[in-house]
Amino acid sequence: MSDTLDHTRRNFLYVAAGGMGAVAAGAAVVPFIGSMLPAADTLAASKTEYDVSTVEAGQLVVIQWQGKPVFVVNRTPELLKEVDGHDEMLKDPNSEEIEDVSAEWMTPENRKYRAIKPEYLIVVASCTHLGCIPLYKPSVGRKEWGDSVPENWPGGWHCPCHGSLYDISARVINGSPAPHNLHLMPYKYLSDTKVVIG
Amino acid sequence: MLEKMMKTKLFGWIDERTGAEAILKSQLTEYQVPKNLNYMWNFGSLALLVLVLQILTGIFLAMYYKPSAALTMGGYTVAFDSVERIMRDVNFGWLIRYMHAVGASAFFVVVYMHIGRGLYYGSYKGPRELLWIIGVVILLIMQGAAFFGYLLPWGQMSFWGATVITNLFGALPVIGGFLQEVLRGGFAVGDPTLNRFFSLHYLFPLLLAAIVGGHVHALHVVHSNNPTGLDVHEGKSTIPFHPYYTIKDAFGVGVFLLFYCYVVFFNPQMGGYFIEVDNYVPADNLQTPPHIAPVWYLTPWYTILRSFESKLLGVVAMGASLAILFLLPFLDRSKVRSARYRPVYKQMVYLFFITVIVLGYCGHSAPTPTLKLIGQIATTYYFAFFLLLPFVHKFEKTKPLPEEI
Repeated sequence: MSDTLDHTRRNFLYVAAGGMGAVAAGAAVVPFIGSMLPAADTLAASKTEYDVSTVEAGQLVVIQWQGKPVFVVNRTPELLKEVDGHDEMLKDPNSEEIEDVSAEWMTPENRKYRAIKPEYLIVVASCTHLGCIPLYKPSVGRKEWGDSVPENWPGGWHCPCHGSLYDISARVINGSPAPHNLHLMPYKYLSDTKVVIG
Repeated sequence: MLEKMMKTKLFGWIDERTGAEAILKSQLTEYQVPKNLNYMWNFGSLALLVLVLQILTGIFLAMYYKPSAALTMGGYTVAFDSVERIMRDVNFGWLIRYMHAVGASAFFVVVYMHIGRGLYYGSYKGPRELLWIIGVVILLIMQGAAFFGYLLPWGQMSFWGATVITNLFGALPVIGGFLQEVLRGGFAVGDPTLNRFFSLHYLFPLLLAAIVGGHVHALHVVHSNNPTGLDVHEGKSTIPFHPYYTIKDAFGVGVFLLFYCYVVFFNPQMGGYFIEVDNYVPADNLQTPPHIAPVWYLTPWYTILRSFESKLLGVVAMGASLAILFLLPFLDRSKVRSARYRPVYKQMVYLFFITVIVLGYCGHSAPTPTLKLIGQIATTYYFAFFLLLPFVHKFEKTKPLPEEI
């Protein structure tokens, strides 16, 4: 054994020990942050069943899925016509910018309807800006809605919080603070009218 | 009185084991403070008083409050009902809750005055940079604590305010979605969110108490600024903190309590400014109130958020408007501290105060195109104030400084 200190060796040991300590402290954070993520029972309650035939023609119903509000709209033939003719007003007419949960059933023809059955639109009812629930203003023009909507209003939704606008397929209109169309969620028809969401 | 106490046998016994006498002397009876402080220097001690009041009333409220969004027989929720029970059935519950709710607003009134004083008299400038930075940390933690606390009554404003703010975090790229889930503990604001907000609302004041200790310590190293902004030297220009400023602060406390008690007893909701009317409606996740606004003390930053078309830009600007406060000591290059001797800065800082009030007004009102434009102009000046500071000293002719205070 020599009497002189080996400083390189000692420094290496300091750094190695300190480094391991830092890694261990970092690893100890994982369970704590992990515990803040949704718990197993919260995740389990993630499917909702609904009978869309209970929605009257032209009516909108708000149901709950995963604690979030969901719009179910029974679109009459007149409302379905409102889908066309204003693509230039939309930020994302083909919903290409948001996560595609509808790949299984989406066809080029029903892309503008954003629904498995065009007459039943089912979307998450949280404005993609800051999560308020938009107000349903289905008729065309300002007659019923005053100046809360623009003059060439195609019919759809108006968010009361910060004025975002969506068309009757819940596609966001240019000039809205909301960045995206209202989100679709995975859903499928169990029978002719029974839908399971999630 | 303090002198007498320090001469007792008991104190001597304690002093031998703790060095208490040296601490009391260096921090109170021999701690030197400029003799010319005006009443704007009272707000620091008032902030400490309100912090103590908030912690005290909070502890007692927590004995009855229940953080649960479970439905009750009455059709409301456990949390909402427990707050109503505090108001109606718990002995003095109404008083303690109103003290706490009014205290939250009073805390911000006092702290905003304190910050404004620091801005006007250049208290953020060297050697007090770190003192200022610790102060900004305190402000951020206060805002966090206020936000967590506002969810607890589980009213409509609680619920939708939390929805909007947690959505803000969701706008951040990459980590946004994860952060949002960590905050909410579910897919939307719900029972898990309420539980963790209660936990954090209890944690943050403890953090505050610790950091306020650091703030006071940092102050006692660099000592108080004064209205002239001059560096003062011990002797003729300073007096000991105790008894001179303890008595002046005590007088300030009396005046403050007069206002505080008036609001607590006669006008606890302050016309919807301190407690928003919509928050007496139980939270309903299927119905957004027609107009969502945060409580008054957060509205200036809410306006900055709303002034941008793009959601991400708005969130970034709001974050930047707070973060830029950290940089203030390094942005201002002038050698003169106090606005008294800085004619250009004086105009700028007065306009800044007005701007923050205008931003607050815009954020509290329902959005209209006119208000949006006013908000955007105010937002522009808010940032311009900070970005102009590095250049002001180049053309500003400062007034001659006095020799002594």
